[in-house]
Amino acid sequence: MSPTPEEHPNKTAFLLRVRSALGRTEPIVHMPDHPSLKSNAMRQQEKVRTIVARNEARRSSTLDRLARTAAAASWNVRRAGDAEEAAGIIAEIAQQSGVKSLVRSAEDVFKRVNIDTPLRSVGVSPAILASGRSRTRGALRDMAFRADMGVTGVSYAIAETASCAVTPRRGVARLASLAPPRLVLLIEPEQVLETLDDFFAITRLNRMQARGRTANYFNFISGPSRTADIEQTLTIGVHGPGEVHMVILG
Amino acid sequence: MAEVKSAEFKKASGKALRDEKLQHSLEHVMEHFVGARANVIEDDFGDESWEAMRTRAAGIKQSTLEHLDYYLDMVDKSVRRNGGHVYFADDAAQANAIVLDIAKRNGVKTVIKSKSMVSEEMGINHVLEGEGIEPVETDLGEYIIQLAGETPFHIIAPAMHKTRQEVSTLFQEWLKTAPTQDIKRLCVYARDALREKFAVADMGISGANFVVAETGTVCLVTNEGNGRMTTSAPRIHVVLAGMEKIVPAIEDLALFLRLLPRSATGQRITSYNTFASGPRAPSDEDGPEEFHLILVDNGRLNLLRDEVMREALRCIRCGACLNHCPVYRKIGGHAYGWVYSGPIGAIVTPPMTNMKVARDLPYASTLCGTCKDVCPVKIDIPRLLLHLRYKVAEGAIGERSTTWMERLFVGQWHGAMRSRRALEGKANLGRLLTRPFARGGKVRKLPFTPMVSGWTASRDFPAPAPRSFARLWREELAHDNGTELR
Ligand code: SF4
Repeated sequence: MSPTPEEHPNKTAFLLRVRSALGRTEPIVHMPDHPSLKSNAMRQQEKVRTIVARNEARRSSTLDRLARTAAAASWNVRRAGDAEEAAGIIAEIAQQSGVKSLVRSAEDVFKRVNIDTPLRSVGVSPAILASGRSRTRGALRDMAFRADMGVTGVSYAIAETASCAVTPRRGVARLASLAPPRLVLLIEPEQVLETLDDFFAITRLNRMQARGRTANYFNFISGPSRTADIEQTLTIGVHGPGEVHMVILG
Repeated sequence: MAEVKSAEFKKASGKALRDEKLQHSLEHVMEHFVGARANVIEDDFGDESWEAMRTRAAGIKQSTLEHLDYYLDMVDKSVRRNGGHVYFADDAAQANAIVLDIAKRNGVKTVIKSKSMVSEEMGINHVLEGEGIEPVETDLGEYIIQLAGETPFHIIAPAMHKTRQEVSTLFQEWLKTAPTQDIKRLCVYARDALREKFAVADMGISGANFVVAETGTVCLVTNEGNGRMTTSAPRIHVVLAGMEKIVPAIEDLALFLRLLPRSATGQRITSYNTFASGPRAPSDEDGPEEFHLILVDNGRLNLLRDEVMREALRCIRCGACLNHCPVYRKIGGHAYGWVYSGPIGAIVTPPMTNMKVARDLPYASTLCGTCKDVCPVKIDIPRLLLHLRYKVAEGAIGERSTTWMERLFVGQWHGAMRSRRALEGKANLGRLLTRPFARGGKVRKLPFTPMVSGWTASRDFPAPAPRSFARLWREELAHDNGTELR
């Protein structure tokens, strides 16, 4: 890890002006009253334990809810009974869309769900979008921009809003779920949460426990890329994928 | 800083009112936003829990403002812990200088921008261009107005005043594309042109919808994916954020992400939410190697300092107050003359820029109160408008800003209201003076001074009754009691 960047020289003066605008002369020493901030790692852990237990107990109805909210948010939703079926569905989607070049991430989920074999059998050879040893930044970008379809896993899927939290890291390029015009996200049942509150409570705990070693970047993907900037007419597929598929295991 | 043209408010709004095409599209678009918002709130929450959410959000934002120095420090420490740089800019000039410095140090030639209102305040595109660096807006609406050389018409729909024909003409001129009436085609043209920029840009500049203090996370709310592109493709990511954008905890985002898209476009959530807390890790496949967060004051201290105006800094820029405002819906965004328009523009522009230049804006309201009812953070906009009107009238900046005519009128009024006799005397005088101009119970046209004739130019003044109420009353009583009331 590189050293912590230095403090900006204007910080002290800036904060002083803010403080005096608020009519105070002294800095605040005790943390202001805020319910979430006051919850320390232990209490947060307790909270998350309850959340996880609730989500486990209601899993099957939450999966149904996700399928419903996702369909309403313009996702193409497919549910699969097992890994083999899920892999078959993904190959089918690629074939139906006439996909020629497909990129996927290198996530563990693809060890459990082998999509490469069924894809090859329909004539699509998937490439892993990772920089590896020989691929430069530019080469990776070109490859992502040229692909017809991207396939990745998710960290979480939130039923309330049909949002998939995708966290780029080693093996998961940011552009894999962004640059190709079609996107398939593969969701496993344990990844599904009921609400946004559940998600942020867990995220908070993860950060507390990892002491700064968590990912600095993630996205919610909650539907196709869209715009209504010209004459308020809804158009899909601007900078991101216009065609989005959610394949839910279970 | 972007030029403040609010002094031309009256002229510019008159022009907008006469623009038939604009009137049509304003009505159409605003009606659409208003309907979508109402439906989604009704479906998901009902009025009661929506109200409770607004109250909570207002409380969180207000408390953050009251402790802003504390939270600014927290943001600074969190972001630097994540490996990002943090800067504090007093004004637009300082913020511009910081961006330029980062760009020059890295030999940046092309900058891609995802929507940022602060960058509009700074007028950064001009500054970059002056240094031979090409800035490219990537939000479709912003891209269109950049090509047209205009400012945003609406906070979340910057190019809503442009028709497809106008967009097609712009693209023909700038992108050398074929003319088309097909909106989908126009989007593809823009997408292709912008992809080329994404591939070559060295720096991405974004705004911030929220900055989370405890984690140092910048949250972007977008629909097109340009926010993701801006934070993924280039080597450097610069965030421009007003210093009031802070929420304390990451868990607060659950609430704000429910409020913002519903209030803005009537969506449950936007297609993308980007959460960026620092540069990429060395093991990441892609993403920026440098992350810079610039926290900007640029006049916000003037709002913070004034205990009445402070709550204006709770604003999350959803645009709901614009969509529901009977004045905005008639005159549109450009008349307000600076970056922010509608009710929120009317309250923040004068203190943030220049009270004198923007003195007409607090009057651009009927005080109907709808803005206050729809605001997701419950800003009491009508109260703040009245507060500003009072300041304008008092000449809070050290000089009288009322006209001699107003002062004469108010002085006379003041005298008249102090005694019954004086009031009756003035009323009788008025009766005498206006009688010659009354026709059929109405005064259609008064000559005299510009102020009086100006008033009757567009409305009728009811002709005073031949005998005053007080006189009738006295006569009646005298009749009943045989005495006269003094
Ligand atoms: S003042 Fe309220 S309604 Fe208006 S833009 Fe800001 S948050 Fe939205």
